[in-house]
Amino acid sequence: MNEIGGAPLFFLEFGDIVIYFTPFTLTLFLLALVFSVFVLVSRPERQIDIAFGGDAYYAKEISLSELRFRRFMSIACGLACMGAMVTGDVFDFTLFVSLVGICNVGIVAAVRSRHVQNAAYQYGLVALAGTVPMFAAAAMVAATTGTLSMLELAKGTATVPVAARALLVLGVMGEGMAPFYAAKAEMFRAPGAPYVIMCSLSSLLIFLRVAEVILLI
Amino acid sequence: MIAELLFATFFGLLLLGIHRKVIARIQRRPGPPVWQEILHMLKFSFKTTWVPATASAALFVGVVLVAIGIWTAALLVILSGGSLLVIFAIYMLHKIVEHGFGLSSGSPYGKFGGVRSVISAASEIPLFVTVAAIAIFTKSLMISDIVAYQEVHGPLLATIPLAAVAMYVVLLSKMPFGPFSIVESKELVSGYKTEHFGVWRAGLEVCNGLKTYVLLMTFILVFIGSLPFWMILVAMILVTVSLSFVCALSPMLSPYDSVTIQTLIAGLMVAYVALLGVMS
Amino acid sequence: MKKKYALALMLGAAVPGAGAIVLNHLGIIPFWAYAAVLIAGFPLFLLGLGLFWMAREGKADVPFLGY
Repeated sequence: MNEIGGAPLFFLEFGDIVIYFTPFTLTLFLLALVFSVFVLVSRPERQIDIAFGGDAYYAKEISLSELRFRRFMSIACGLACMGAMVTGDVFDFTLFVSLVGICNVGIVAAVRSRHVQNAAYQYGLVALAGTVPMFAAAAMVAATTGTLSMLELAKGTATVPVAARALLVLGVMGEGMAPFYAAKAEMFRAPGAPYVIMCSLSSLLIFLRVAEVILLI
Repeated sequence: MIAELLFATFFGLLLLGIHRKVIARIQRRPGPPVWQEILHMLKFSFKTTWVPATASAALFVGVVLVAIGIWTAALLVILSGGSLLVIFAIYMLHKIVEHGFGLSSGSPYGKFGGVRSVISAASEIPLFVTVAAIAIFTKSLMISDIVAYQEVHGPLLATIPLAAVAMYVVLLSKMPFGPFSIVESKELVSGYKTEHFGVWRAGLEVCNGLKTYVLLMTFILVFIGSLPFWMILVAMILVTVSLSFVCALSPMLSPYDSVTIQTLIAGLMVAYVALLGVMS
Repeated sequence: MKKKYALALMLGAAVPGAGAIVLNHLGIIPFWAYAAVLIAGFPLFLLGLGLFWMAREGKADVPFLGY
């Protein structure tokens, strides 16, 4: 595993579940942490919208209850994301990724606007469907190799079927919302910063981590 | 290390200046002097600076720090021969930085720039990851190992030219005025950087200089191998000039077309990598 | 931001950075610690320098909306 993300710097063992940091996972972990702190301390933006047909413009405000819920979901998403970055266990990874998906839906669905909620509903369906191939992949890994530990799998004593890797990537693509759903402009009708940044951050981070995982196992 | 960092910033900005000059000459304009981007950076740091009343303040400022920090880290990774996967990670995090820049100000222009940045991530990230095909040959993703492999077996540019094409498209999509530079397209004023003015923009210019230097350096180290330092600089200028030709002679695509074309290239690359995997 | 604070930020980033260079050169701290100080310090130093150097402070305004 030295060759993939750099030489491991640190192992944290909880029984047979090992958390490990390589330069790669450490970079991802730190960025998830930094952006979680931004979400924690930042006030929301007041999005400027132009009233069509005149020179008027107005700033959208975000209500306190909505702010609290979205901030909670964003921080939960940051925590789930940090977990997914450093875990050394395939099943834990899939659990954290599905949690990221749920939190992303929560961040978007808290907005009281029909357009935004429609977008959140559609994304929620995709995220739910994405968990099926993802957990199936984890089950296939356990069934074919007898272990879920990435460190064991990295030794190359047992080969993981290509189908399991493909299903894992498919599932993570379903959970990661940002690149595929950013095209849904409805999602950006509500004041987004700094909460929506967690959607895109967590999606791209789990894509990167899954790239490492399938290279590793 | 500080010396390398400052050199990388200024040389990267100089490369961007050369880029603008070459584009201008191809289009038969006089163009700005080649050190224009360096002047820009200095000029912006002398401008009046504040945080917009509508902005999400901590993110607005913090994202500038993150932008410079991640590319400083990338430069250190390159110089110490670290993992190529870390460079992927930092490239991807740059997408988040662009999104953060656009999102944090409350401006509709910035927001559209940021959203386009996230859409294009769908195609650019797979494109960049296909470069990992080199691991089939080198059995490692450490840049030091890749350079060592090329000293024995010759440049990877000759062995896997299509992977080099994928990386070249990645470079192209990060150059300003290119066919894939939808994030800073002119119908969005300046795209994601519209509301970052003054010192914030100067910080962004530093980030752009470092980013250009690091990405070009990665391309040369990974596909040509280790050269004397002055040869690397010459090679970087040559790659920049070739990119300028592409940028000058092609129109900017619409966002969906840009993503579609990059996705098609990424799809071809995946097929190619699969073929390489079967053959090896 | 007051220029005094910007100067403090700049020096606050520059002094540990310079210290890290010296300590790494003497072999007291490992490379990764030096790199961490540099990665955190360089952006702060640049922003501090810029804010210290900038012409004047302005009042906050709404974003640019078009011509």
